Amino acid sequence: MDFSQAAERISVRFSQKGQNVDTKKIEVKLRRLVDEFGVQPAEAERSVTNELAKELNLPGFGTSSGGSGTAGSKEERPISEIAPGEWVTIEGKVVGILSPPSPAIAQSGIIADATGAIRFVAWSKANAPKMTEGSWYRIESAVVDEYKGVANLKIHSGTAIKPVVEDRALIPSAVKIGELKPGIGSVRAKVVQEWETTHERMLQSGVLGDESGTIKFIIWKEAGKEKLAVGSVYTIYYAQVDEFNGRLSLNLSTASYMPDEGDIAVSGGDTDIRGTLVHIAPGSGLIKRCPVEGCNRALSRQNYCPVHEIQPKFVYDLRIKGWLDDGKKTYNLLLQRDVVEALTGMTLDTAKELAENNPLGMDEVFLRMRDAILGRYVMCKGREIDNRLLVRACERLRVEPGEHTALLNRAGGAA
Amino acid sequence: MSNGGGSAPVRKEGGFEREPARRVFSSELRECRYQFREGDDEKSPTFVLLPTGERCNRVFIVGTLTEKQRQGDQNIFYRGRVVDPTGTFFVMAGSYQPEAMQQLAKIETPAFVAVVGKPNLYQKPDGAFTVSVRVESITVVDRETRDLWVLDAARSTLDRIEALTEGTSSDAARIKEHYPSLDPVTFRKMAYEALAQIKI
Repeated sequence: MDFSQAAERISVRFSQKGQNVDTKKIEVKLRRLVDEFGVQPAEAERSVTNELAKELNLPGFGTSSGGSGTAGSKEERPISEIAPGEWVTIEGKVVGILSPPSPAIAQSGIIADATGAIRFVAWSKANAPKMTEGSWYRIESAVVDEYKGVANLKIHSGTAIKPVVEDRALIPSAVKIGELKPGIGSVRAKVVQEWETTHERMLQSGVLGDESGTIKFIIWKEAGKEKLAVGSVYTIYYAQVDEFNGRLSLNLSTASYMPDEGDIAVSGGDTDIRGTLVHIAPGSGLIKRCPVEGCNRALSRQNYCPVHEIQPKFVYDLRIKGWLDDGKKTYNLLLQRDVVEALTGMTLDTAKELAENNPLGMDEVFLRMRDAILGRYVMCKGREIDNRLLVRACERLRVEPGEHTALLNRAGGAA
Repeated sequence: MSNGGGSAPVRKEGGFEREPARRVFSSELRECRYQFREGDDEKSPTFVLLPTGERCNRVFIVGTLTEKQRQGDQNIFYRGRVVDPTGTFFVMAGSYQPEAMQQLAKIETPAFVAVVGKPNLYQKPDGAFTVSVRVESITVVDRETRDLWVLDAARSTLDRIEALTEGTSSDAARIKEHYPSLDPVTFRKMAYEALAQIKI
C-alpha cells in the first residue's frame, strides 16, 4: 500500500470540508493498522477516515463499507459509486440542464461531484425546488434507478434538496474514449468527421477521436448549441454516453464543450487497405438526393424520400458502395463524390449529361463506372466505422518491379 | 440495378461477413478433391479445400478469356475458358446469374478478364474430377491488372504453403486427411513458373 497517497486522499477529502488535518499523522495511523495489525488497506483507509470524522464532529462523513444503502440513508456517497436500486444522499454541482421531454418531469439534467456525474430527473409531482446550473446542492434520499442501461437519480416527493452555499471547485476528469462507459462522460477529443444530418432536429453528427479510439457523436438542435469544427480539438464535459446495439455514442446535448489547443493523433485513424474491388453494389454511380435541408437521403428512382415523399427538385450526387477484398478479409466500402470522380475519371457533370442523353439513363453511369473499376487492384485510405470503410482516397495500384523480383526469389529460393 | 445471382451481401444482425475471394492459380484449383459445408444450415457456405491448405468459398482470378460458348435451350448458360500462366479455369454463368451471364455474353475473345466467382467440385461418371467457377461478375481488364494478379496469386500461394509447412493453417488436419500424398513443393514450383512467365 502506498501510505502517503492514501493519506493524501484522506486529507483532501477533509480539506474539502474546510478541515485541515495532519497528513503525516494519518500516514502513521494507516501504516500502523496495516503493518502491525494486518488490516486490509481499504479497510484501514476507511477506519482512519471515520475516526477523524468522529473527532472533528462531521457526522455522515467517511466511507462505509457496505450495509449502508438503507432507505433514507443520510450518509453522503460519491457519485461514481452509487448503483441502481439504492437510496442515496449526494452532494454535487448541477453541470447541465436538459429541456424536460414530458410535463411529468419538472427538471432533468446532470449533477456531478469530484468522482463522477449522473443524470437526474425531478418529477413534477415531487414539487422539488428548481436547481440552477452551476450551483451545488445536497440531495437527500433520492432513488437510483436504471433507464436504458444507464443509472439515473430520481428526485421524488421524499427527497430533500438543500443548496450548498460555499463555492467549491470542481474539475471534471476527462477519460479516454476507449474507457467511456454508458452514463455521463468527459473527454478531450478531435472532431474527425462530420456526417450528413439525417433528421431535422439534428444539429450535427459525426465522429470524435482520440489516441484510444473513436466514437460517434450527436448534437440536437437546442438554443445556445453550436456546431463543432471538423479537425479541431475540444474539451467536452458531461456528455451523455448512450449504448445502442453494443455500440457507444456521445450525446452532447447536456455537455459543455470548448475548443482546445493542440492536436491529437487519433488512433484507428486512417487504415490503408490494398485489394480488389470484387463487387459494386446497387445504388452506386449517379444518385439523387433529397433537397430538404438537413435530409440529404438518397431518393428512389421515382424521386421518393422515405421522410419527405416525392421531391422533384432533387440534387444529383455520385457515390460508390461495394466490397474491397484482399484475399483474407472483405471490407464494405463507401466512396463519396470526390473519391469517385478521382477513381473513375468521371465527373458529376459528365455523369449527369450521360444520364440525361442516354436511353439507359442513370444505369448507363452505373455500368460504365462498374466496367471501369470492378476487378481492379486499388489502395483505399479511410476510416473503418461500423464495419464500413469510409474511403478518403482510393487509387489504382501499379506493378512494382521490385515485388516481382522478391517473389521470384521467394518461390525459387531453396527449391 | 438488379444484382446477379448470389453475390448480394445481406447484412444480418450480429454482423455479416462476406467470404473473401482467394487468389489461386488454375493448376492448384484443378487439384481440389474435397468439398465441405460449414454448419448444418441450408445457407451455410460450402468450401472447396485448396491443396495448399486453405478453405475457399470464393475465388478472384484474372486471365485471358480464350473461348466462350452458349449452351442449353430452355436454360441458357454460358461456359468460358480463362487461361492463366499455369493452365485453364472453367467458368460458367447461367440464368441464375443474369447479370454475370450478360457480362460474359458481351465480351469478345480473346480478352483479359477479372472474374469473381464460386468454385464447385464435380465428379464425372468416369470418376474424374472437375472444378468449375460459377461467375458472380466478369469484367474486361488491362494487362497491368493481369500482372498484378499473377504477383498476388503467387504471393498468396507462397503464404499458404508457408502456413501449411509451419502448421499454422487452420485446416491442416483436413489437408492431411484428404490430400495425404501432396507435396507443397509442386505448388511452389508452379508459382515460380507463373512469375517467370510475365515480363515486367
